[in-house]
Amino acid sequence: MRKLVFLGILVAALALTACGGVSNGAAPAEATPVAVRVGWLGFPDTLNPAYAFLTESYSMFDFVYSTLTTEGPTGEYIGLLAETWSASADGLTWTYKLRPNIKWHNGETLTAEQVAWNINAFIQNPDGWVTNSGYVIGFVSARAVDATTLEILTEFPISNMDYRASFLYIVYPPDFEKFATPEELQNFTNFSPIGTGPFKLATLDKDQRIIILETNPDYFSGHAKVDQVIYQTFDNSDALVQAIKVGDIDMTTEIPDSAFAAVSAFENVIAVSLPGRSITELIINSAPADHDPAPTRNPALKDPQVRLAIATAINKQDLVDVVLQGNGVTGVSIVPPTLGGGFWFNQNIKDVAFNLEEANRILEAAGYTKEADGVRSKEGVRLEMRLQYPSDQSSYPRAADMMANWLAEVGIKATPESVDPDSLVVATNPNADYDLVIWGWGSDPDPDFMLSVMTGEQYVEGGWSDSGYSNPDYDANYLKQQQVIDPAERQKIVWEMQEMVFTDRPYIILWYGNILQAYRSDRFTGFVQSPLGIDSFQSLMNVEPIK
Amino acid sequence: MSRQDYLLRKFLLSLVTIFVVVIVNFLLFRILPGDPVRAVIGRNVRISAEVQQSLREQFGLDKPVFPDQFFSTMGQWATGNLGVSWSLRKPVAEILISKLWNTLLLIGLGQILSILLGIILGLLAGWKRKTSFDVGALTFSLVAWAMPTFWLGIILLAAGSSWLGLPTGGIVSPQNVGKPLYTVLPDLAAHLVLPTLTLTILYLGEYMLIMRSSILEVLSEDYILTAKAKGLTQWQVLWRHGLKNAMLPIVTMIALNLGFTVSGAIYIETVFSYDGLGKLFQTALTKQDYPLLQGAFLLLAVSVIVANMLADVLYTYLDPRVKAN
Repeated sequence: MRKLVFLGILVAALALTACGGVSNGAAPAEATPVAVRVGWLGFPDTLNPAYAFLTESYSMFDFVYSTLTTEGPTGEYIGLLAETWSASADGLTWTYKLRPNIKWHNGETLTAEQVAWNINAFIQNPDGWVTNSGYVIGFVSARAVDATTLEILTEFPISNMDYRASFLYIVYPPDFEKFATPEELQNFTNFSPIGTGPFKLATLDKDQRIIILETNPDYFSGHAKVDQVIYQTFDNSDALVQAIKVGDIDMTTEIPDSAFAAVSAFENVIAVSLPGRSITELIINSAPADHDPAPTRNPALKDPQVRLAIATAINKQDLVDVVLQGNGVTGVSIVPPTLGGGFWFNQNIKDVAFNLEEANRILEAAGYTKEADGVRSKEGVRLEMRLQYPSDQSSYPRAADMMANWLAEVGIKATPESVDPDSLVVATNPNADYDLVIWGWGSDPDPDFMLSVMTGEQYVEGGWSDSGYSNPDYDANYLKQQQVIDPAERQKIVWEMQEMVFTDRPYIILWYGNILQAYRSDRFTGFVQSPLGIDSFQSLMNVEPIK
Repeated sequence: MSRQDYLLRKFLLSLVTIFVVVIVNFLLFRILPGDPVRAVIGRNVRISAEVQQSLREQFGLDKPVFPDQFFSTMGQWATGNLGVSWSLRKPVAEILISKLWNTLLLIGLGQILSILLGIILGLLAGWKRKTSFDVGALTFSLVAWAMPTFWLGIILLAAGSSWLGLPTGGIVSPQNVGKPLYTVLPDLAAHLVLPTLTLTILYLGEYMLIMRSSILEVLSEDYILTAKAKGLTQWQVLWRHGLKNAMLPIVTMIALNLGFTVSGAIYIETVFSYDGLGKLFQTALTKQDYPLLQGAFLLLAVSVIVANMLADVLYTYLDPRVKAN
């Protein structure tokens, strides 16, 4: 009987649907807010900047909070809370003049005192403000000179201050002052945040994974042309693509490479392919021989000629054309070409050309001769190696197959292997138990992070180095570039470091993939196309409905 | 043995099983390769090595698995506390309950529809053996049973959203989020149509095939011939003598399927971005979130055991031989 009641409910519900009850995103006619509906595949873990793990959280921070500076669409830094700023002659005092009359979402006025409270909290409590603390290394203290003037004192000159300031999200102190221990602070998810950003958080449903942002009419720098931005999470990219096709959403933050051509052909949908900041590389096990545990790898990989031969035997353009379907460019340096509008990318590095004959010649000259089965060897060491990649990346298996085929033609037997990403993390660092790995990074806007990945200091358990590369000159340069305030001088060092990595080849950079996104051109216009993506807060502030 | 003794024995056996499951669960996830801290934070460039170490301490991973981690987990469970999820940072029990309702709604509806339709169609197919109806139903159920879940889901999603304007994901539309579900029934129903349909089609074939072969077997029994000889109508024969006996294998199958219901339907939930337990299991596993994994698998084990117990109880009513033994 109960079953029948249940069935009855379903039938009634379905009947209601059939009678035109499907609301499917369409709201009633009266006073409908203009909302941009964004589909994405993730969801923020927290809205507390002290302790955020996921990139989705950072997307939300940009909407809700403000920072002193922010990265503009062309890669330069512009003032956000700060109107103007300057460093003292010795580079140890930074003075920020804040815009007057900035309002918190609750109507109160922001003061320099509150900004100073934030920065001092990041400096003094690094165990609590985990994610912010990395950006205040070298900071001594902050103080409010007057209601709109902030001063930050540093221990040494800091070269990338604008970039650092762009990640210091300023939160409302009364919400954060009450926490006595780091754990209390970290467990606070701040899902009803008060910020000064261009949007206010109206709804956040962690179970149904919906976020509704409302335009902040009191924002200090104009306000958005739409009333709301609604984020809806999809669990698979096929559904996301279908949603943009049928107009369930107005834009999507990502499209798989393989679906890009199909999405481009949808009616009233514009698919955009924008140069981004991601790099994909082939990691060559470069861990020092005395590393503990001892590196487990093919010893021939230490030979620079073998590395050169591998690099010569990879047709990067083919990888871009086939694996990325043309949505990217071939890679050469660990610093992607988009950072700082191209300023940080060493344009002088000339990549080795793809040439199988040349690769064969290099190996032959280095004493690696072909055995009966076509695999080369020297002094009993056969050029046989693992070519691993994380199993969660759909483009890597194809890339691995293509590379294995080229390598086979020059007498290197590379066996593609899909590995669970967690296992691969441990295999690369700290175990150094691998030969070749295909993997990638999403770079920060400043070159500092990508450069840090290659430092010896990062090759510790929990560090970010996966190649195990260690070069004292490189490490010295890394520290130097952090403290040079003159951009041109810093650029010189940064370029030199890229050259070092290129020559030593702990990484062979395969490609820089594009950001693939799409929007409904029959609904909205004004999306700003830049390496920040069409979902940046600057872009969504500029979006307006088609009349 | 009386029914009471029989049930008591079953109950005690179930308790022992749950205890074993708890211990296996604890050990199983700790054998997994990888580092839970790295899995939780992903490739987040903002988390330094020192912070990872402090997380490891916070999660208790700096201590040996046995005895420290084992006894602290068991002690926690003994007080009814399933712990706090590392990746979602909410109490595990709270997370499980919120997803359980969604899953029960979806899987419950799909199961009920497929059971009812499966039994009816299977019965009719068996009864009208070798007619075109039988052949049609048999073909359909074989195809439905063999169909890959993900594929069917995507096809229905594409067709339903393109031609019928049905939603592409979620449980309700964004503007209805946070409202009590009964106030947004039409919207909820619209979101449930496609996943329910997918689930129904997938299970329908299985139930129908079992029901059909079961009723065929029963219809060839002597007591059916006797019933017919008594002058009962065909309907009476089928209803009073056929159905009850043919139900036994179906009951087992329903019990097993319902037990696994709480594990959700990972594929269906993923295709339709439906926020249920299946998806949660997957996330917990990829994030190596031990507290969440342990809680989720405990829930799964308990449901399977309870469903089996229910099947045993039902058997004592349906089949007098069970009681006699």
